[in-house]
Amino acid sequence: MTDTVPSSLAPGSPQLFGRVYLPRLRLHGSDRVAHALLVAAGLALAVFLLAPLAMILVKSAQDRAGEFAGLANFVAYFRTPALARSIWNSAWVSALVTALTIPLAFTFAYALTRSCMGYKALLRNVALVPILAPSLLAAISFIFWFGNQGLLKPLLGEGQIYGAPGIVISLVFATFPHALMILVTALSLTDARLYEAADALGTGRARRFWTITLPGAKYGLISAAMVVFTYSLSDFGIPKVIGGGFNMLATDIFKLVIGQQDFAKGAVVAIILLAPVGVTWLVDGWVQRRQSALLSARSVPYVPRRSKGFDRAMAAYCWLMAALMLAVLGMAVYASFVRLWPYDFTLSLGHYRMGLVEAGIFPSYLNSVTMALWCASLGTVFVFVTAYVLEKTRGLDAWRPFVRLAAVLPMGVPGMVLGLGYIFFFVENSNPLHALYGSMAILVVCTTVHYYTTSHLTALTALKQLDNEFEAVSASLRVAFWRTFAKVTVPVCLPAILEISRYLFVNAMTTVSAVMFLYSPDTVVASVAIVNLDEAGDIGAAAAMATLIVATSALVCALYHVLQVWLDRRTQAWRRS
Amino acid sequence: MPATPPDFLVLEHVAKAFGSFVALKDVSLSVRPGELVCFLGPSGCGKTTLLRIIAGLEVQSAGRLVQAGRDISLLPPMDRDYGIVFQSYALFPNLTVADNVAYGLVNRRVARAERRARVAELLALVGLPDAGPKFPAQLSGGEQQRVAIARAIATSPGLMLLDEPLSALDARVRVRLRGEIRGLQQRLGITTILVTHDQEEALSMADRIVVMNHGAIEQIGTPLEIYRDPATPFVADFVGKTNLLPARRVDETTILVGERRFACDADAAMAAAVALQVFFRPEDVLVRGVDDATPNGVAGTVDKVEFLGAQSRLTLRVEGIPQALFADLSVNDLSALRLGPGDALRIAIPAERMRIFAASAA
Repeated sequence: MTDTVPSSLAPGSPQLFGRVYLPRLRLHGSDRVAHALLVAAGLALAVFLLAPLAMILVKSAQDRAGEFAGLANFVAYFRTPALARSIWNSAWVSALVTALTIPLAFTFAYALTRSCMGYKALLRNVALVPILAPSLLAAISFIFWFGNQGLLKPLLGEGQIYGAPGIVISLVFATFPHALMILVTALSLTDARLYEAADALGTGRARRFWTITLPGAKYGLISAAMVVFTYSLSDFGIPKVIGGGFNMLATDIFKLVIGQQDFAKGAVVAIILLAPVGVTWLVDGWVQRRQSALLSARSVPYVPRRSKGFDRAMAAYCWLMAALMLAVLGMAVYASFVRLWPYDFTLSLGHYRMGLVEAGIFPSYLNSVTMALWCASLGTVFVFVTAYVLEKTRGLDAWRPFVRLAAVLPMGVPGMVLGLGYIFFFVENSNPLHALYGSMAILVVCTTVHYYTTSHLTALTALKQLDNEFEAVSASLRVAFWRTFAKVTVPVCLPAILEISRYLFVNAMTTVSAVMFLYSPDTVVASVAIVNLDEAGDIGAAAAMATLIVATSALVCALYHVLQVWLDRRTQAWRRS
Repeated sequence: MPATPPDFLVLEHVAKAFGSFVALKDVSLSVRPGELVCFLGPSGCGKTTLLRIIAGLEVQSAGRLVQAGRDISLLPPMDRDYGIVFQSYALFPNLTVADNVAYGLVNRRVARAERRARVAELLALVGLPDAGPKFPAQLSGGEQQRVAIARAIATSPGLMLLDEPLSALDARVRVRLRGEIRGLQQRLGITTILVTHDQEEALSMADRIVVMNHGAIEQIGTPLEIYRDPATPFVADFVGKTNLLPARRVDETTILVGERRFACDADAAMAAAVALQVFFRPEDVLVRGVDDATPNGVAGTVDKVEFLGAQSRLTLRVEGIPQALFADLSVNDLSALRLGPGDALRIAIPAERMRIFAASAA
């Protein structure tokens, strides 16, 4: 055999023909399949993530005629005071939202993890409700509460909800559940033994909080702050609906590209938007690595003790927050049934029947459901199979880091930026994938890529809990990996796969930003329809559409929950340890 | 002497580097058919890496592997012929024990009835005839381990690889399973390689032991050879309890330990070096019936008596020797001598029980 290492080759001097000679195993047929899948996944991420982003860089350095313009577009951008002001607006609004949301969410998370109040599960679910709605819903709802014809308008006196105040308060509502989830995790990671030690040393409650609780949740706080800041910076729906004349970066992109067809300046804004988001993304990655080291396998989970006054105070706070949440959500639902705001408050299905169905807008809802179903099915398959071949197969070592990086990159890319990149890339007639432009497929792909990172990490976490040697054992029994994948990996990871699927469905239903650039007249989705209805002044119908989305998301979540419970019951025999 | 059968597995000059870290340097060894060979060494010595190279889960940086006359150096795992049991067992949690055992059979187009019969036979063989319908999580650690073995041998591979198969079990189960695995291996006559860091396990189970340290083989030999005739100070120190003391050469048959002279048998090491190490087992130290006429006798003081069950271990101080010495004696001897800390005791170290190493080898 010619490709065997000559046994005369002395170890320590593996030089052959002047270069390092490293033997490689011959490939089995199943290895080739795995490699093909991995290459395909990497190429898909390159085409549908990296290439569009690269196009933004290219466009930002081109003039209108497509000639190289260097930094001229950046210079022109910063010389336009109205545009440059958006940077400042985006920055301070995002900072303010972060400063408001984090303490509110921290207190809520603290109550959930450290008090003995009742109805924790209910309160938690209510607090997570905003996730089921497009961010626009909060803005619409606040218009009904505090807008020009709002119920509580008189409370504002001379003030206005439109502009920064409305944006800030809507963003607080929209980001609250995202911060809450991270902080609940961070607070439940604390080791009870630290508190026992503190008690044994006679440490007071306040000192315990400052010396144990806060430092323990430090990384969670940083991470939550990053998420809230990034979300606020890149959200498009809220400033679009309630922003009035208040300009932010995300709305600027839209105006420049769709309104003025100024692609170059749009690309400049996209890059400005990418920069801070990229920084927060790097910090977050650093935090995640630190956090994982915090909890050892021997940690003892903290169990809160009853304390009447404290529990009551916490319960009061949480019920108040829950009531506010429901007030925001409820107003949009209520308004969608009101016949003619603010003149006729009788309830009717008018907005649904006339505003949506008869106006021919209802198909956009069906488009959303179709898109969400594709994302939840094909998207989930792609995410999970990619994570599997990445994590559990061997070989192709130079290619893997690239796929790994591409998989976590989308977290740092705002939807508006991704969508803009898609236009630049796919609109070119010379692109063989040009046919995708304006199709349902491109919406599905773009949305899956947009929400790729969280899905990918969920899949990785589940796969890492499986014994690393399953594939090795299978190979020794001469069973190809796909059989083990089907017989063992998928059944064991089913809860995580369902979670990915649910996550993609809900986000596909609610997303606005990326698809804003990509829909065609035939593929308008529900969240885009809300923006259009709002722009046309038909805010009642907009509320109706938002309500439909929330109802659908909630229903689907409930279905997934039922499925999960059923699966747990079916598989409990082997899960019992 | 009977004619030795051709070797079943031959490793020639196998080396492995991970970046700049050398995990294995120039390992050559051969395994005879039906033999149980233990790779023994401390963690990080390269024993698991070597096993994974044999399994095709790692690729050697250099060297050659031949199994049953076939060069397997570059074959992917699926084209090799072995069954493997990992430390974690890697049983498929969602499949029943019967499905786990049948996992490799399904693929080989074995008829269902035949498959069922084979699974029943294998489960009976490992002593779990009724475990078929259960799930792995419902079995104890020791039972899971036996299921993993049944799965590994289901397809009748030519070679069985066991990677620390007993280390996750508690001490009593471990001792029982040692005997069971060895019995099973001998009944099936399957060539087996077992990786372990537990010298007792290696001594009690192996036909031959490969002692490894820092990626290289220190010694290959039967358990008795390894125990009685360690080739290097490392082996002497790693296998069993040992007195390993620095010494100096006086002449061909005399050494100096501390300020004490001892007669010893001539050894090749003594010709080569002046600085030496002397090795002898605690159980070889004479403690009863030693008088002034006994060769190599010295007077000592008992420092500590450690009760270990059937035996007790004395820690002794001998004037002129800075290190403590260990000597083992039976319970009967201990009660006859009525020894306690502070007692004086005369001991002797038989010359033929001492082994000499050049000190530079350490």
